[in-house]
Amino acid sequence: MEDEKLMYVHPAPVRVWHWVNAVGFVILIITGIQIRFAEMVDWFSLEEAIQLHNYVGFVVIAAYGLWVSYYFGTMKIKLYFPNPRAFVPNAIKQIKYYGSGIFKGDPNPHHMTPENKFNVLQKNAYVGIMFVFLPAQMITGLFLWRVKRFENYIDLIGGIKIVSTIHVLLFFFFTAFIFVHVYLATLGHTPLAHFKAMFTGFEEHHESETADEAVF
Amino acid sequence: MNIKTCFWVGVFITVISSWLIAIPAHAIENDECMECHSDDSLERSESEGMKEDLFIDYSRFKFSVHNINGITCVDCHSDIEELNWDNEVPHQVSLAMVECDGCHEEEGEAYLNSVHKKAGGKGITIPCYACHGYHFVTHLEADSVFERENKFCLKCHNPDNFHDWLPQKDTHFAFVECAVCHAPESPRYISLRFYDLISKKFLGAKDLLTALDTDYDGFMEKVDKDKDDVISLEELEDMVLLLRQKDVRGTFHGELVLELVPTVHHVNRGGANRECEQCHNPQSPFFEEVYIALNKEDGTGQRQKVERRVLESYYVNHFYAIGGTRVRYLDKIGLVLIVGGLSVVAGHLLVRIATAPARRKRKVQKDEFST
Repeated sequence: MEDEKLMYVHPAPVRVWHWVNAVGFVILIITGIQIRFAEMVDWFSLEEAIQLHNYVGFVVIAAYGLWVSYYFGTMKIKLYFPNPRAFVPNAIKQIKYYGSGIFKGDPNPHHMTPENKFNVLQKNAYVGIMFVFLPAQMITGLFLWRVKRFENYIDLIGGIKIVSTIHVLLFFFFTAFIFVHVYLATLGHTPLAHFKAMFTGFEEHHESETADEAVF
Repeated sequence: MNIKTCFWVGVFITVISSWLIAIPAHAIENDECMECHSDDSLERSESEGMKEDLFIDYSRFKFSVHNINGITCVDCHSDIEELNWDNEVPHQVSLAMVECDGCHEEEGEAYLNSVHKKAGGKGITIPCYACHGYHFVTHLEADSVFERENKFCLKCHNPDNFHDWLPQKDTHFAFVECAVCHAPESPRYISLRFYDLISKKFLGAKDLLTALDTDYDGFMEKVDKDKDDVISLEELEDMVLLLRQKDVRGTFHGELVLELVPTVHHVNRGGANRECEQCHNPQSPFFEEVYIALNKEDGTGQRQKVERRVLESYYVNHFYAIGGTRVRYLDKIGLVLIVGGLSVVAGHLLVRIATAPARRKRKVQKDEFST
């Protein structure tokens, strides 16, 4: 592997955010299962599960603050917004690739560069997650943390059960997301390439991203 | 004297003596007491310059649960047997302590073995009226958690100083009556009250029944279609629909309160329930009994049993015990999401594995071509 083939795609603040968020999500999911399904699982006492869930929730919120500060501070947030004109054709190309091209060994239609590290589907998904789903999860989590303190806002949304419903549905969504996310991360030129890059920050550059990525 | 004369003399003596015996018991009417005690400046000096107010606000006493049940002043102050109007104070100056357990035997017994009674040994006396008040005891059935707590526990205790271990203590204080945890032997139930979203206040039973075009007696007949004396989720839905047709829009607020049984007095140090799982699980007995409160203006409560499943519905949006009253079908949606996600992953992976040889072959061909 030659040095010029390496691209610095994941700057340090992004990597710190990513892994803090990842570990936080896993702990939140495990404690969330204990809290919601107390009659089925017995990993912690409910009291411990709630305490841990609350602390980790705040860590994840803080990590999100880091993500927002970095991406808006450097204006690299543009990475997340697809070009509206090319969105539909690019999305079709990418869907075709994931649905059939990848199995045949076709090249990935998206070429990763530090300025354009996400394909159009990733951009779309991450905009939804980072600007809608994750904030909604954090806000509802905050409300559920201190129901009495936030009761006016809770009433505006329609009551504690509505707030809880949003939080729970997103909890299921994020749990499903983690499985899909980890799997998609194995679709690099080697199954561990993207994982490695998320630790080192460097992704190997492959001109055509061709069949070798899917050979295993 | 013949037998007949003897009989009539006997009857005469019996009637006269029973009349004479009955006189002292009925002689003192409340009006007589109020001759003096309606004076709002009536008081007596106690030791160390303290004064005891002896004024009784009869307009409040009138609505007390004792007066409503025909209990008179001297029924409780039973050491006043007669009034001597020649004296400045027509009865003895120092009266005996009223013994509530003379009538409320079971309550008295439950109280005997309680932390409040035991405090007596430490130089403090906590008689019944320290919590219940003297003359203006009213029905509590219809009271909300706040009202019940304000009338009793919060007079002396500040729960905020304790309970640091309890997550969201404010929320628990707002929705759970103190004694639900502190008198764990007593039965409890969820009381549902209808909150009108337009007027932003709880709808009294009178307004609710008027909107439903019925009365207390006709309520169940109107709502409980299958006549099983329990309002099912479907029946509650129909009731909410009926209310909407009358432009009454609202939601049910729930509170966890105690049945007012003698054992509520059995509060003991260390005896409180501290196990979160007791409540926060769907099989919790705490949510077995659910009632819609139809409170009357005199403070008495009429309530109708509601199916437990109602707590898991979106008609009760302002009461939610994590885990305990969760909406079950959300779990099914969650299962579909997670199983769906895993299936997509598994399916894609399987096809990737199955097509790997073809890709390898293609790569070999490509490498040969490029060399």
